[in-house]
Amino acid sequence: MYLFNRLNNCSRSVCLLFLLLITAARAHGATLSVSVFNHEGSPLSNMVVSARPLSGVAGSSSLRAEMDQINRQFVPHFLVVQKGTYVQFPNSDSIKHHVFSFSPAKRFQLLLDKNAEQPPLLFDQAGIVELGCNVHDWMLGYIYVVDTPYFTGTNTKGNADIALPVGDFEVSVWHPRMQEAKEVLLQRVTLSQNTRLVFTLKRPLLPDYAGYESDDEFGDYE
Amino acid sequence: MYKSMIHYLRFSALFATLLWTHHGFALDVSGKVQAGIYSAESPNTWLDKGTGVTRFDTSGIHVQQAIIQINQSVTPSTDIQADASYYPDGDQHLGFTQFQIRYKPLISGNVKWRARAGFFYPAMSLENVDKGWLSPYTYTQSAINSWLGEELRVAGAEFTLYRPGRAARSPWSWELHAAAYKGNDPLGTVLTWRGFALHDRQSLHHERLEFAAYPSVTDSNGIWHPSWVEPFSELDAKWGIYIGAHLDYQRQAKLRYYYYDNLANPNAVNHQRLYAWRTRFHSLAFQHNISSSTRIIAQWMLGDTLMGERFVYTDFQAFYAMISHKAGQHRFSARGDVFDVREDDIFPNDQNNSHGSALTANWRYNLSEHWQLGAEYSLVSSRADNRVQLNEAIRATQQQMLLVLEYNW
Repeated sequence: MYLFNRLNNCSRSVCLLFLLLITAARAHGATLSVSVFNHEGSPLSNMVVSARPLSGVAGSSSLRAEMDQINRQFVPHFLVVQKGTYVQFPNSDSIKHHVFSFSPAKRFQLLLDKNAEQPPLLFDQAGIVELGCNVHDWMLGYIYVVDTPYFTGTNTKGNADIALPVGDFEVSVWHPRMQEAKEVLLQRVTLSQNTRLVFTLKRPLLPDYAGYESDDEFGDYE
Repeated sequence: MYKSMIHYLRFSALFATLLWTHHGFALDVSGKVQAGIYSAESPNTWLDKGTGVTRFDTSGIHVQQAIIQINQSVTPSTDIQADASYYPDGDQHLGFTQFQIRYKPLISGNVKWRARAGFFYPAMSLENVDKGWLSPYTYTQSAINSWLGEELRVAGAEFTLYRPGRAARSPWSWELHAAAYKGNDPLGTVLTWRGFALHDRQSLHHERLEFAAYPSVTDSNGIWHPSWVEPFSELDAKWGIYIGAHLDYQRQAKLRYYYYDNLANPNAVNHQRLYAWRTRFHSLAFQHNISSSTRIIAQWMLGDTLMGERFVYTDFQAFYAMISHKAGQHRFSARGDVFDVREDDIFPNDQNNSHGSALTANWRYNLSEHWQLGAEYSLVSSRADNRVQLNEAIRATQQQMLLVLEYNW
């Protein structure tokens, strides 16, 4: 309705045609192919690739995501959400958790008693939110808040494809174990046809310390 | 007794008030009941004033224990926790084993601190990691932790500085602990006169811990001490201390060192003729999860205890090593213990040398989320020189078998 009111010189049919053209252009946009390699040239999987339209993104109030606590770990280990997403923190364990973040993008604490549900939290600022649990010191998780609906992860060959409308984008790559000088790697691209971008990390990923993920089964009773 | 009941009621009322005056957070109540069949051998258990070192000495059906744990968050960073137990045997059947208030503030840096106060165990054991300070591996605990369970508890406060490794991008996590406490002055009494034992009978707050009436101990011309002790008593108005250090490699290996010194005045004696025993020891515990299903746990303890003008002085040492393997819903655990108490004091007729070894094999099977079935065999060989005072053989070999059904919630 808002669009129709502004274009008051157009007849309804002309406006409708205009809209159809825009939609067609979007549907026939371009594919952005991104490849991510480590400092030795090996492909990196599970890297988050996101493309932010420089023309801006309309906000949404209906986005929902979930960061669960299972066997005293954050599941998933990292979650990528669009800015404006409400994230629910369920507790699938039979013990309490105390989830917190000191990250500038979202500072919060949430006591998650067993069998009790807390209302979801709104992540309305782009950035990296590092999560901890004040009860279980080994728990570590991330919520990566991006200002775009266009994001995905690289496959085992280090490749990721995103279908995008034509336009200008800032393409970024992120992983929680990246050690680059900046928190994310950025490239700008003007997309008018299928395009391929390559990101090569300068420094190795941090060790994954998978031993922290192993479930000890028994707590540390004190 | 009347005084201790008043104290007990006063504490219970305070605890209940703290629990029920706060409505912001959920009250978490969990617990466990173990019952089953036992078959064991003489000598009689110390719980019935015998010189045996296993909890049971005959055959029968029994409730092994019932425990309840109550946890209430007062603020997101503060909680109160109380553990209470029921035992059909021993001096007192129902009471608290621990109660504490814990404060763990949210801190943004890598190095953090936390504190707790109350009546609790130092976290020196890697064996007693189940609810209520029980072992999830064996019913009969190691000699070291059986002794801690019956004679050691602190009434005081502990301060901890710690660095969780993962958030600091390191495989290593560390903790440093320091505590000051009252009570626990008679620590070492039962260890010296009875020697190490293997069991899961923790002493309750304000409980009297019995042992055999050795004439050299009870005779008014001898040491003149009752054949029991209230192990958590304060007798000399002095503070005791302990310090501890934990080092973990991810969640795969753990090392814990503690030095405990109750700093008691060994000449302090009260109207019950209970003495303060100056007891100090080192404890070193280690765990390595070889794989996700198999782990080894070991602990070594070395210490000494002194009572009176060297009326009693002993060095003690104990070690255990355990392997535990999980296959599906089955867990198999086996542990070997050795333990030794050696005297060097002025009363040769009060023999305090004791020595022993034990093997324990356990199988536990999770029938469902709440039910577990288990069986255990223990073989304990012990030598206690003071058994001669009661016309018993110095050496004893005891076998104990348990079949236990457990319900936990």
